[in-house]
Amino acid sequence: MSGRAAFEERSAWRWVRGGGLVVAALVLVVWTILPFFWILITSLKEPRDMLSVPPTFVFRPTTENYEAIFIGRQRGLYASARPDFPRFFVNSVIISSGAVVLSVVAGVLAAYALARYTFPLKEQLAFLFLSFRFAPFITFLIPLYILYQRLGLYNTYLGLILAYQLITLPFTIWMLRSFFMEIPLEVEEAAKIDGCSWWGVLTRVILPLSLPGVAVTVILGFMFSWNAFNYPLMLAGRQTFPVTVGAIQFISYEQVLWGQMAAASLVAVVPQLLLSLLVQKYIVRGLTMGAVR
Amino acid sequence: MARRRPEQLVPYVLLLPAFLLLIGMLYPFCLGLYYSLTSYYLQYPHLFRVVWLGNYLALLTEPVFVYSVEFTVGYALVAVVIQVGLGLAVALFLHARIPGRSVLRAMMLMPLMMPPVITALMWKIMMASTNAGILNYGLSFVGIGPINWLGAVNSAMVSILIIDTWGNLPFVALILLGGLQSLPGEPYEAARVDGAAGWDVFRYITLPLLKPFIILAVTFRAMDALRIFDVIYATTLGGPADATMNLHMRAFFYAFQWYQMGTGMAYAVVLLALVFAASYVLMGYWRRAAERTAL
Amino acid sequence: MVTWTGRRLVAWLVVWLCLALGAGEAPPAAHAQDDASLAYFRQAKINWRQAEGQKLTIGLNKHPFTESLLPLIPQFERLSGIKVDYLILPEQEYFSKLVADLSQQRGEFTVIMTGPMRNWQYVTPGWIVPLDTFLNDPKLTDRAWYKLDDFYPALIAANRWSGKVGGGVGEGPLYSIPVLAESYILAYRKDLFDQYKIKVPTTMEEMVDAARLIKKNAGIDGIVARGTPSVSTVATGFISGIKSYTDGKWNELDDKLNPTFHDPRSVKFTQMWVDMMRESGPANWANMTWYDAMESFAAGQAGMIVDADFFAATYEDPKKSKVAGKVGYALVPSGSGGKPFAGLWTWALGMSKATKNKEAAWLFIQWATSPQTLLNATLEYRNYNPSRISVMTNPKVQQIMGAWGNGSYVKTQQENLKTARVAWVPHPERTRLGDIWARALHEIYFKRASAEEALKKASAEIDKVLVEVGLKK
Repeated sequence: MSGRAAFEERSAWRWVRGGGLVVAALVLVVWTILPFFWILITSLKEPRDMLSVPPTFVFRPTTENYEAIFIGRQRGLYASARPDFPRFFVNSVIISSGAVVLSVVAGVLAAYALARYTFPLKEQLAFLFLSFRFAPFITFLIPLYILYQRLGLYNTYLGLILAYQLITLPFTIWMLRSFFMEIPLEVEEAAKIDGCSWWGVLTRVILPLSLPGVAVTVILGFMFSWNAFNYPLMLAGRQTFPVTVGAIQFISYEQVLWGQMAAASLVAVVPQLLLSLLVQKYIVRGLTMGAVR
Repeated sequence: MARRRPEQLVPYVLLLPAFLLLIGMLYPFCLGLYYSLTSYYLQYPHLFRVVWLGNYLALLTEPVFVYSVEFTVGYALVAVVIQVGLGLAVALFLHARIPGRSVLRAMMLMPLMMPPVITALMWKIMMASTNAGILNYGLSFVGIGPINWLGAVNSAMVSILIIDTWGNLPFVALILLGGLQSLPGEPYEAARVDGAAGWDVFRYITLPLLKPFIILAVTFRAMDALRIFDVIYATTLGGPADATMNLHMRAFFYAFQWYQMGTGMAYAVVLLALVFAASYVLMGYWRRAAERTAL
Repeated sequence: MVTWTGRRLVAWLVVWLCLALGAGEAPPAAHAQDDASLAYFRQAKINWRQAEGQKLTIGLNKHPFTESLLPLIPQFERLSGIKVDYLILPEQEYFSKLVADLSQQRGEFTVIMTGPMRNWQYVTPGWIVPLDTFLNDPKLTDRAWYKLDDFYPALIAANRWSGKVGGGVGEGPLYSIPVLAESYILAYRKDLFDQYKIKVPTTMEEMVDAARLIKKNAGIDGIVARGTPSVSTVATGFISGIKSYTDGKWNELDDKLNPTFHDPRSVKFTQMWVDMMRESGPANWANMTWYDAMESFAAGQAGMIVDADFFAATYEDPKKSKVAGKVGYALVPSGSGGKPFAGLWTWALGMSKATKNKEAAWLFIQWATSPQTLLNATLEYRNYNPSRISVMTNPKVQQIMGAWGNGSYVKTQQENLKTARVAWVPHPERTRLGDIWARALHEIYFKRASAEEALKKASAEIDKVLVEVGLKK
């Protein structure tokens, strides 16, 4: 084994590995960014330029698409008096944040129970939570629509936040459960000996130590909520449509406003980007992890 | 080392909020299930009656049904293997101490920030079959002829996989990255003291410790790959010639295009059964892996 | 735990949200101008305010006509005292939501956008209301002012249905008021046809040849058309082609509701069409949507397209198309009789049966389809083709549309309107039928079955459906 390790220490291998990493990074970047690059230039193009064959990268950029979605000022292309996009944007923020907050609160409690306790029906309940994410949205949609109409939850933020739990809660519970189980028992025992209740253990030991996991869960949960389409399509009205439904409105009957759709999609990326940048620093290896013993 | 706590009620209380949030969904779900046992045509309310398993039996005689089951399962298998495999590679890559790591990580997340509908539409435009599409345009520089990405039977399935992978690879990578960050440090210390090589460290330490997260990623991706819908809806609508017609698309057609709720729900329930079976098996693996790694 | 960087990011987010919210406020409308246009409506000898204080929710699909209504809604609210809320979605999503609401009769949508073929789905279960009673009520409608006969008769007829499965279009109650006319014509690249001395096709065979010649000489697709496996593929150019080819004598269901796809005439046309697509059409025909086909032609990538006539508005706009000024328009190639039988579609405003305030809903429909509103929709918002004769013959409209194809557009469209009619046999399962039909085209295109086999299978499948839902014994 030391021979292999020694081999890996040799500088030639190091160069190859370094080069390989650079190539891998390049491939990753191009693969990930290409569609975004495409969306970006589409959002800056006039309709005529979008039809170029082969696609043009040299063109006269225009900001009219962005102006259109925010202000509705269209230079004779497609008049739209009251752009709803800003409102859709705010809706998305409210609904997604609400859904994630609710999921995390309920999820942390449930995940802790599943990670640390043993009790009858434990695995069945865990599976039950997961199973809510099984059903294709088709099974839910029309019955849910009827139910919401009757309960007055249709076209309300609360209704959507509750419906979104189908998307975020099972995922949150299982992710947090896995991360909680990574934390060595000894740390908890130590805290208990120091006199912490289960709540104290949870907030002072488990959560800080599983911060990378919580961060990852929050980001992913937020993104899943933000990008949900089929539920809000049915369960929301104009006042509560999120950006996903809003973005699809650029498909009209006699043309498709690709530029505006691209602009709207890019703008909708920003909050998610901000959140992930904010949370980036928490997805670092806990320095205390190695110092348990 | 067994964990036994004597407090009986605490876990149930902790589970209560999550339980309450989700239990409300049981009613619409059961209603959907009920519809699958009826002949329920939105346009012909007078035809409504309970047919028990009649819809399911009718499914078996439909030629497209068998194909859509095959395609659904086959696609999910291929997609999960590729996406989790690549996701692991990417996670390891982002875990390593390379310069620009945080920028790469933030960039890595970006595909998740696009709604699948928009992703699919944008890829559809990029995948135009002539050099009008940026993909073919790029390929033309390397001498590869224009590929009919979405308009031919075989390439359509691959194209769906490409779009799906682009959108969901970050998800797998992020879970595994989080997992990698949470791994305890002692085994690695011990390995380094022993002078173990990189590949062996990976195989005997990282991989087993990461197993619960890998299985978690596999489970979620399997559940979503079996039910993939938005991408197919926005690009091929189940075509060409039913090549990409999976169970979810079929259920959609019946329920939302032809207003036959009975058959539509039956398709959905079959899909549900597949997802249930897959998750049940995978959760068994997860439990074993999680118990083994709990030191 | 929140660092300085985190706080700064959050601050930016908050600032931006405020901007976004602020930008969303519409500028207050100018009241003085509106009162002048309100005067136009007040000419009608009805009391616009008879439903004052009530509330309406309107379901609209994204369309220039609906876009034209949005800025005018405050005007309607001031005129009638009715509070109006609306919801706009693209066609597919709109119909999903609409049918969910109609089928549950919740009354979420009161005024709806519909059309002939859609009505057939809604009339059978009784989801929509005939509008004749409202039209004939002098307290609700001023016939002289509203001018119902100003609408093209063919369009009004298209929105009537007696409810009889297999016939009765043009008879019976009027279920919706048309706001546009859509038919199908041939648009071709006049410059290429001139350059390569290709004759404008008047028969199907000539069209196949022309497509071949364009592909050979100009290197672009000879013809482009929709190809997704759904009803929209067969609903426009294809059905117009087949009905013209058979001189309007062939119908997809005979009078006993037997599917006739395997009829030799249908088989022949279908084989020709699909072969033409395979030979001279786009490589990804099988997933071409309406906008793919339209944009392909507008990008100069195809020599011909048989589809919606009003796409000309895009083709002729230099800001949106690369072939502006190079397009010619002609009738759909016909059969031996020499006359085309192009299909017809109208978007139209109808009313849901679950509407609790039907008078209010009718007032809205009357307002939205009045001569003035429709003229504004066409002139300012490019709602083509106008459904009112007065709008079509308006000099300003004629000036715009007359410029298309050097006059060949208007000439063709008007000529076409003389024989255009709803191409489908009326029944509630038209969507399913069309989907099966399009699916059969795929089988033929990918050479999995001959035209005869595929169409015979389609006939059998449709027959089964019709029997299953009780439309046929």
